[in-house]
Amino acid sequence: MKRDHFPDYRTLLYQAILLVLAGGLAFAIFHTTQTNLERLGVHSGFDFLWLRAGFEIGQSLISYGPDSPIIAALWVAFLNTLLLALVSICLSTILGFAIGISRLSGNWLLSQAAKAYVEIFRNIPVLLQIFFWYFIVLRALPGTQNSYRFFEAIFLSNRGLFLPSPVLKEGFWFALALVVMVFVACTVLHRWMKQRRVGNNGHVWRNYARIGLMTIVLMFFIWFAGSFVSWEIPRLGRFSYQGGMVLTPEFVALAFGLAIYNASYIAEIVRSAFQSIPRGVVEAAESLGLRKTAILRLVTLPLALRVIMPPLTTVYLNIFKSTSLAAAIAYPDVMSVFVGTVNNLIGQPLEIMTVTLLSYAFVAFAISLLMHLYSNKQALKSGEK
Amino acid sequence: MIQVRRLLSGTILALLLLPIVSHADTLADVLSRGILRCGITENSPGFSTINAIGEREGFIIDQCKTISAALFGRISVEYVGLTPQTAFVSLQAGRIDVFAAGATWTFRRDVAMGLNFTGVSYYAGQGFLVRKSAHVKRVADLDGATICVTQGSTNEQNLADYFVAHGLKFTPVTFADMEQALEAYEMGRCDAVTNERISLAGRRRSLRSPDEHLVLSESISKEPVGAAVRHGDDRWRDIVAWSFNVRLAAEELGVNQANVDEMRAGSKNAEVRRLLGVTGGFGKDLGLSDDWAYNIIKLVGNYADVWERNFTPMGVDRGLNNLWSNGGLLSALPFR
Repeated sequence: MKRDHFPDYRTLLYQAILLVLAGGLAFAIFHTTQTNLERLGVHSGFDFLWLRAGFEIGQSLISYGPDSPIIAALWVAFLNTLLLALVSICLSTILGFAIGISRLSGNWLLSQAAKAYVEIFRNIPVLLQIFFWYFIVLRALPGTQNSYRFFEAIFLSNRGLFLPSPVLKEGFWFALALVVMVFVACTVLHRWMKQRRVGNNGHVWRNYARIGLMTIVLMFFIWFAGSFVSWEIPRLGRFSYQGGMVLTPEFVALAFGLAIYNASYIAEIVRSAFQSIPRGVVEAAESLGLRKTAILRLVTLPLALRVIMPPLTTVYLNIFKSTSLAAAIAYPDVMSVFVGTVNNLIGQPLEIMTVTLLSYAFVAFAISLLMHLYSNKQALKSGEK
Repeated sequence: MIQVRRLLSGTILALLLLPIVSHADTLADVLSRGILRCGITENSPGFSTINAIGEREGFIIDQCKTISAALFGRISVEYVGLTPQTAFVSLQAGRIDVFAAGATWTFRRDVAMGLNFTGVSYYAGQGFLVRKSAHVKRVADLDGATICVTQGSTNEQNLADYFVAHGLKFTPVTFADMEQALEAYEMGRCDAVTNERISLAGRRRSLRSPDEHLVLSESISKEPVGAAVRHGDDRWRDIVAWSFNVRLAAEELGVNQANVDEMRAGSKNAEVRRLLGVTGGFGKDLGLSDDWAYNIIKLVGNYADVWERNFTPMGVDRGLNNLWSNGGLLSALPFR
C-alpha cells in the first residue's frame, strides 16, 4: 500500500534533476538575451509602460487621450478585445445552436439550408470573410450626408451607427441601488410564495398575476432610475457626427465575420451532440409518458450539453484568439495597438510580446476555467460525478 | 552513454554561446558572402515597386544599389522585404546588413534601439491626402475629421502631437497596410489619409479618380530620413554614410552618370579627382577599392539622377531635397 502513495527516491531524484536543468536553461536563455541586448545598446525593461503614449486610439470604452500612459492604451485595447470577443461569442452561440438544430429538423428545406450554410462558411478562411463583411458594410451604407436617420437621434452611415449616449446625473447610482434592492426583494418574495404554495392548487392564473404585479413594480422603479439619466444626441459636425456613442463598421464587420464563421463550427458540434444521444433513452422517456418539450428539457438537453461543452470551449477560445485579426481592418485590439503601434514607437519587441502573450493567455485560461466550472455544475446537477 | 551526454552538453553549450559571437565586422561578412542583404519596404510608388518586366526599381532600391556598387563594383543585392514592425528587429538580429528603406532619425531610434543612422537621405514630411470636394485648404480645416493612418514610423505620434498642440480634434482609423487605408478612404470611411508626403503623391495617382484628390502642401512634421545600420561597427557605418555622400558631392561638383567617364579622364578639379579615385587613395581607407565612388556614379548616378529617375515622373519636385545652393537643405560633406 505504501508504494501506491510514495514514489521511490530514484524517481524523485530524476524529477529534481530535470527541474534544475529546465530552470538552468530558462536562466541561460534569459541571461544570454540580457547580455546581447546590452551589447547591442538596446534599452530593455518594462518601464516603457509608464511613458506618455503620444497617439490616439479610434475607439475606447474608457476615457483615453494622447497624454495617457502606454499602460492605459493597453487597457483600452484589452477592453476592446474583450468586448469584441464577448459579442462574437454570444452571436455565434445563438446562431450556431439555431443552425445546428435546424440541421436535425424534419423540414427538408431547412436542414438543407443549414447544411449549405455550414459547408460554405466553414470552408472559407475567416480573414477573407472579415474583409468581405468590412468592404460590403462600407459599400452598402451611405455617406455621412445621406445617413439613415431614426427618430433624429440614431444615425446610420458608413462611419458607423451613432447612438445617443447616457449622461448620468446626480443620484443615478442611488436610484440604481434602489432598483437592484427592489429586484432582489421581488425574487425573494417570489421564492417564498412558491415555497409556501401561496395561490397554488391548480390556479395557474394566480401565478401569472403574481409575476405580472412584480413586473409592473420593477418597471416603475426602472423608470424612476431612468429619470436620472439624460441622453447626449449625436450632432452633425463638419465631417461627421460628434457626441454620443458609435458602433464602428470595423466592429460590426469583425463581430459578424467571427460569429458567422464560428457558428458553422458550433452548428456541427450541436448536431453531433444531439445525434450522439442513443435512441433508446428517448424511447424510454416517451414510454414514461413525458411530453416532447419535457423530454427535451429533462433528458435530451442535459445529455447533449455534456457532449457539447469541451468542443464548445475550444470554439470560444478560437473566437477569442481570432479577435487578433482585428489588426487587418483597423479595429484597435491588443494586437493592433500593442504589437503594432506601441512596438513601432518603443521598439522593444521582447517585452511587448511577453505582455501580449500573458494577456491573451490569462483571458483564455479564464474562459476555459469558467466553461469547466459550468460543465462540472451540470454534471453534478444530473446526479453524476 | 558518457559520450552521448558529453556531446549533448557540448551542443547545448555551443548553441548558447553562439549569439555572443560578435558581429562587429559587417564589411568582412558582406565581402566574403559576395552579396549585400538590404532591408527594404515594398509596394510604395517611387520608393520601391516592381516594374512591368519584374525588376525592382525605386529610390530605396537605388539606395541598396549605391552601397553594392561601392562594395563590389556591380549590383549584387539580396532584397529583404520588411514591414516597419519587423525592420528594426531584423537589423538588430543580423538578418539584414542595412535598412535602406530608412526611417526618421529620432533620438529614441539612435540611442535606445541599438541603431546608427548614416546621414539624411531625404527630408520627408507627414502630409494629408484629402478630397477636393471637402474644401480643405490647411491642416487646421481637418478639425473633427476622421483620418486613416497607417501604423509604422512616426505617423500616429506626429498626428496626435500636432492636433493636440493646435487644439484640434480627430478620430483615427489605424490600418497596418497602406493599401487598405486607401481602399477605406476611397469608400468614404475617412476624410483624409496621412502618411509621408512624397509617397502620398505617388499613391494619389493610383486612385480611381486621381483628379478628385489632392495632397495638402502643408506638412506637420520634419522627417529627416536616413538608412540605418547596427551599433558597434564604425567602419561599416562610414562606408554606408560616405557612399550616400558621394552622390551629393557628385551633384555639387557637376559629375553625373552621363559624364563620369570624361570627368575621371580629364577633370582639373582636385576634389573631383579625389572623389573619382584618380588621386588620394580614399577607397583603401574604407577597406574598398579606389573605384568605389566612380562605380556608384557610373552604376546608379548622382543625387539628381536618382531623384529624376524615381520622383520626377510622379510630379514631385525636389523642394527641401535640393542642394543648399538651390534653396534646399542638402549639402555634401567634403572629400578632403
